[in-house]
Amino acid sequence: MQSKHRIQITVNEEEHDLLVHPNRTLLDLLRYDLGLTGTKEGCDEGDCGACTVIVNGKVVTSCLVLAVEVDGAAITTIEGMHSGDELHPIQQAFVDSGAVQCGFCTPGMILTTKALLDDIPDPSEDEIKHYLEGNLCRCTGYTKILDAVNIAIKQMK
Amino acid sequence: MENYSIVGKRIPHRDSVEKVKGSAVFTSDIKLNGMLYGKILRSTLPHAEIRSIDTSKAAKLKGVKAIITSQDTPLVKYSISPTWADQMVLDDQKIRYIGDEIAAVAAVTEEIAEEALDLIEVDLVELPGVYDPLEAMKEGAPLVHDAVRHNISKKLTMECGSVEEGFAEADLILEDTFKTQAQSHSSIETHCCIATCSPTDDVTLWANSQSPHPLRQRLAGALNIDAAKVHIITPYIGGGFGSKIDLDPSQAISVILAKKTGKPVKIEHSRKEQFMATRMRHPTITELKFGVKRDGTIVAKQAKVVMDNGAYNSHGPAVLAYNNVMFSTLYRVANIKYEGCLVYTNKNWGGACRGYGDPQASFAQEVMLDMIAEKLDMDPIELRLKNANIPNEVTANAVKITSCGLKECLTEVKERSQWEEKRINPKKYRGLGVAAMIYTGGGSIGSGFNYSGATLQMNADGTLHLLMGAVDIGQGSNMILTQMAAEIMAVEPQSIRLTTADTDATFPCMGTFGSRVTFCAGSAVTQAAKGLKQQLLENAAEMLEANIDDLELKQKKIFVKGSPQKSLSYAEIGAASFYRRKKPLVAHGYYNGPEGISPEFDPQNYRGYPAPSMAFAVQVAEVQVDPTTGKAEILSLTAAHDLGRAINPLLAEGQIEGGAAQGIGWALMEDVQFENGKIVNPNFHDYKMLTIKDMPKISPILIESIDPNGPFGAKGLGEPAMVPTAPAIINAIYDAVGVRIKDLPATSEKIYKGLKEKELKTS
Repeated sequence: MQSKHRIQITVNEEEHDLLVHPNRTLLDLLRYDLGLTGTKEGCDEGDCGACTVIVNGKVVTSCLVLAVEVDGAAITTIEGMHSGDELHPIQQAFVDSGAVQCGFCTPGMILTTKALLDDIPDPSEDEIKHYLEGNLCRCTGYTKILDAVNIAIKQMK
Repeated sequence: MENYSIVGKRIPHRDSVEKVKGSAVFTSDIKLNGMLYGKILRSTLPHAEIRSIDTSKAAKLKGVKAIITSQDTPLVKYSISPTWADQMVLDDQKIRYIGDEIAAVAAVTEEIAEEALDLIEVDLVELPGVYDPLEAMKEGAPLVHDAVRHNISKKLTMECGSVEEGFAEADLILEDTFKTQAQSHSSIETHCCIATCSPTDDVTLWANSQSPHPLRQRLAGALNIDAAKVHIITPYIGGGFGSKIDLDPSQAISVILAKKTGKPVKIEHSRKEQFMATRMRHPTITELKFGVKRDGTIVAKQAKVVMDNGAYNSHGPAVLAYNNVMFSTLYRVANIKYEGCLVYTNKNWGGACRGYGDPQASFAQEVMLDMIAEKLDMDPIELRLKNANIPNEVTANAVKITSCGLKECLTEVKERSQWEEKRINPKKYRGLGVAAMIYTGGGSIGSGFNYSGATLQMNADGTLHLLMGAVDIGQGSNMILTQMAAEIMAVEPQSIRLTTADTDATFPCMGTFGSRVTFCAGSAVTQAAKGLKQQLLENAAEMLEANIDDLELKQKKIFVKGSPQKSLSYAEIGAASFYRRKKPLVAHGYYNGPEGISPEFDPQNYRGYPAPSMAFAVQVAEVQVDPTTGKAEILSLTAAHDLGRAINPLLAEGQIEGGAAQGIGWALMEDVQFENGKIVNPNFHDYKMLTIKDMPKISPILIESIDPNGPFGAKGLGEPAMVPTAPAIINAIYDAVGVRIKDLPATSEKIYKGLKEKELKTS
């Protein structure tokens, strides 16, 4: 068995010092080593976006990233979006708009929206769709997800 | 119309706060102490005889805790119905498709379990395979199940009136053939389960099942164990669309492995396994013959359907019967003939998939109607209005219709889609198409069962607890059903504590399918709530020394009408009932209907189909075709759905929008493609579903026909949402560019080819 590597990462503003196998994905590290199961696995091939997290401000599909690649990085997962009972305006907008059905794609959708609005606070519809194109949803037909993003934009202005 | 304060309100899903926080626990999120990971060895051959399996090398691998083959199973055949039983958890004789389970391993990590699979030596003798249902029906074709002649699992015939006489009086007869392809459910969450088995053989299974109560029975049957020893728990479920109704072999395998190791065993499908070895929509070939009068009256219709079953039955026989029912029941036609064949092939197999045989029927019939309208020079909406079902009719195939908003759906979409203006002044390469559908609005008792149970109890502190067998797979039943209870009990829905879909804690429920939860579970919940309300009123009447008819419920209190100072809180009544009267406040509701099945009901072909209500819908698609590529872009979709009553319009719209997305996908791009039995696109990169970029504007229209038997007048909506979408789009493509697609999906290539053929004809 290959030897483990030591990495230091900050997840949701909490620092972690970890020993990981070189083939450990960021997704498995989050879900199984840190117990952050809000990040979902939908395909394990980078196609569905359910495992989306934010690494140093950029969205990544965590199933395609190795844990050793994020040494030193700051990572935001869905568990880092709210503080206690107070939802982030994007989370609140997803609730209010009826954008959540089964909820399996929801964490990834919310994190991609967060990265979008961090990059472009007042995006056009094309820009919204460009960012969210990599996040598949099988329940909603995206209509209410788009509503939610638009409400979040207004709320965060 | 009644004035409700909670029913009819736009309230977000009950579980959405947990889901946006990432704290909602799905099956794959659960980790138990000492948990092992199970992996399944699947066949890479489509058809083979099993000679021997040698697990000795795999057993020696460090970390492997158990390996099972068919010898570890009771070799009992099962299916959703005993009469269709054709599958074993692990077959000891034959492999029937690529993905068939051969053996399984439990190990301390997933990686070791995978490694062990590679070490299992299987001696298979490959047999010739058959992949095309028409080939499979021929004399001498390889047999998928040795005892099933011509590979025909089920043959259905039905005739109402006389199509021969009907065709004889027709002014126009049209015949054509329509083909549909396999569609993957592709819920974003794959199948996952965790089993434990105690030393006393008590089994607990956490599983993302749409039907936990039936699963308990089927699991017990397939494993030859006592159902009383089985406990099914459903955590949050990441979508289903029909794929998570059946007993999946992985669920039985995890139980056997747990029993053998004494440890919890988790099995989670990869996306590839989900494509390879879980259900899909049955492909069909439908030959239609329609006879119509010059005024548009359909005098006879006939369908000959070949449905590709794949390797095993699952829901196949019922899907075929539903294909007949929905084809035959839509429109008022006196003479109907249906012949259907369900044919085994060496491929992954079909199952329940949103619409349950109806999308295939609707596609063929609704495109045919468009062709008829053109021949008659009649507006396609007028043609449908001419033949539309009406309330309180009994159709030629003896289906009883109660509420019916089909005509309202047709007139509403006509107006909202600007049908007339746009059809009169067409823009180049743009077109509009319409399609209608019928589906059950509340499951059916055709199988003998259509049950849902609920219990509503008031605690001593006056709080309410609803326990029901129904399972929310994302469609929102946890909110819809608590809204119904809340309306009756005059509380906020969120204040009701809820326990669902736990076989140890709730009355049984058939599960989430057949657009039955709102109607059937809703009937059980309203019955329980009305029962509890009556108990409350009786208690209050005695305590307040008032007449029961003078009491009313409001804001968790019971008042004497006209004397607002005379009241009791629920907490006061609860405490008195529990502590003083020693009579806990609890009421049950149970539905298993409809009552009064037609004597004409035929359990084979479903003539006289016994559904408690029928739902209707009409959709209009506006499409633009790029003549240089053949690509069809959907500009808008106007979707009118008769749902009886909208208990929650926000969630109803969500069903329509999501259904439309699946319908558009099926119409244009989704296609599980096989080569010699092997799926060549078992991933989201090659199997294309709609992204947010592909989604057009959807305009849902909610038609409230108020069903006399539905809870608050409501009917089901989930499955209808995708049914008419594909034919509406196909008809719009024809209106745009004159290319008639008769085999789905309508890819750019097919449309482009059609455009070129048209050019050749006219040049």
